[in-house]
Amino acid sequence: MSSINLTLKIWRQQNSDALGRLETYTLDNVNTDMSFLEMLDVLNEKLTKESKDPVAFDHDCREGICGMCGAIVDGVAHGPEKEVTLCQLHMRHFKDGDSIVIEPFRSRAYPIKKDLLIDRSALDRIIQAGGYVSVNTGGTIDGNAIPISSQKAELAMDAAACIGCGACVASCPNGAAMLFTSAKISQLALLPQGQVERKQRALAMVEQMDKEGFGNCTNAKECEAVCPKGISIRNIARLNREYLLAALTEG
Amino acid sequence: MWFVRLLSSSIGKKLIMAATGLLLVLFLITHAAGNATIFMSSDVFQSYADELHSHPLIVLVFSFSLLLIFLCHIVAGLYLFFENRKVSHSRYEVTTRVVKNSFASETMPYTGLIVLLFLFVHIFGFTFSPKDVQISVTVKELLGNFFYALFYIFAFVALTIHLSHGFWSMLQTFGINHPRYNTLISRLTLGIPLFFLLIFGGVALYFMTGLGAHY
Ligand code: HEM
Ligand code: FES
Repeated sequence: MSSINLTLKIWRQQNSDALGRLETYTLDNVNTDMSFLEMLDVLNEKLTKESKDPVAFDHDCREGICGMCGAIVDGVAHGPEKEVTLCQLHMRHFKDGDSIVIEPFRSRAYPIKKDLLIDRSALDRIIQAGGYVSVNTGGTIDGNAIPISSQKAELAMDAAACIGCGACVASCPNGAAMLFTSAKISQLALLPQGQVERKQRALAMVEQMDKEGFGNCTNAKECEAVCPKGISIRNIARLNREYLLAALTEG
Repeated sequence: MWFVRLLSSSIGKKLIMAATGLLLVLFLITHAAGNATIFMSSDVFQSYADELHSHPLIVLVFSFSLLLIFLCHIVAGLYLFFENRKVSHSRYEVTTRVVKNSFASETMPYTGLIVLLFLFVHIFGFTFSPKDVQISVTVKELLGNFFYALFYIFAFVALTIHLSHGFWSMLQTFGINHPRYNTLISRLTLGIPLFFLLIFGGVALYFMTGLGAHY
């Protein structure tokens, strides 16, 4: 076990209406086996003891599956490691004496609630617009009653790995939500269960996405590069196809 | 109705960019083929130009379609550019781009505008050139000027950069992205712009260096 001393520059903002700014904190003897969030916990303990306001940040599972955590660390969503969430990023990836800038995920569609805490409900509303399958409930059907090829199942599973953390939007130079929306559309469009509402879904979810004020994709690929779940922009190509087909035949 | 929906949506506008971009690329291929006759001789080039202009209706229809395509591409491109400008590039204190080689994708509107500037110069120089001078002579005269040719080459480099992102981006917008074809696509995304640079830039270089003095 080793420990490092850090200088942290963290975005502090009282509420959505207040002006925010970067505050500098020093944190000594940070155990390198800690996760990034645990490091923030230690900072918050220190701040609390000094009767200062602790840094507000979102988190839940802390095992990289819920999608609650996330911040921009030195300009990169979820920090410098590939395919990990902030809660799974460990302090061993930092060096003694490092200065780390921590900012909230930003987008026109993500109001900041406090410090690093943001309102990502715009993503939920995209799902509500059509990211579901309507079923008439009855008895549980047999597991393999609907045959699905393993290739389709794998692709759908890859898309379903999206945890909705919103890092794609935060790191897109245009603030587009295409990777998120494309994953949510793909996971259903690939499966037989998703066929009935397929076209309506594509139209409704894209319409909601545009309404929320997300930007326009310019295929900059930044989303794919920071996605903690490695969601491929192949899904965005699929979304474009789904949308074109739906617009031409349903619109 | 579907048309209005398409136009008003973000993906629809991208599709306009991609469709007009494809048509422009197709036009460039025919244009490059025509211009390549310059390398054969001034007579071959002149007879190609004469043949083309012996069908004024075709030239007229193609010119106006091309104008329309360009206008759609430019208007949609600028619209998207200004929309996306609302997302401030300085929204973070520190911004680190993870994607390497993002130069072409970041500069699409600028390389596009250089091409547009070139178009004005090009059309002014050649389309509206004096009718009593043969086009093969005009080409030699204008491109024989060092700085005129240099500007041409500069514009072709901008076009090459534009397409080095644009060609791939266009296919992605059309929904064409498959592991089986992605290697081919990335080769074409490099090869097609370089092909244009070779032919168009080659013509400019041909006269600039004096190699084409007696073509
Ligand atoms: C012969 C000339 C041109 C060709 C062959 C061409 C081709 C292309 C292609 C294939 C794309 C990719 C479309 C996509 O991303 O789906 C593109 C994008 C773009 N073009 Fe052009 N273009 C030309 C001229 C221009 C001009 C004159 C402008 C003027 C402003 C321009 C501005 C743009 C912009 C801004 C984009 C990016 C749009 C986006 O990513 O959302 N282009 N172009
Ligand atoms: S806290 Fe659940 S993914 Fe990080």
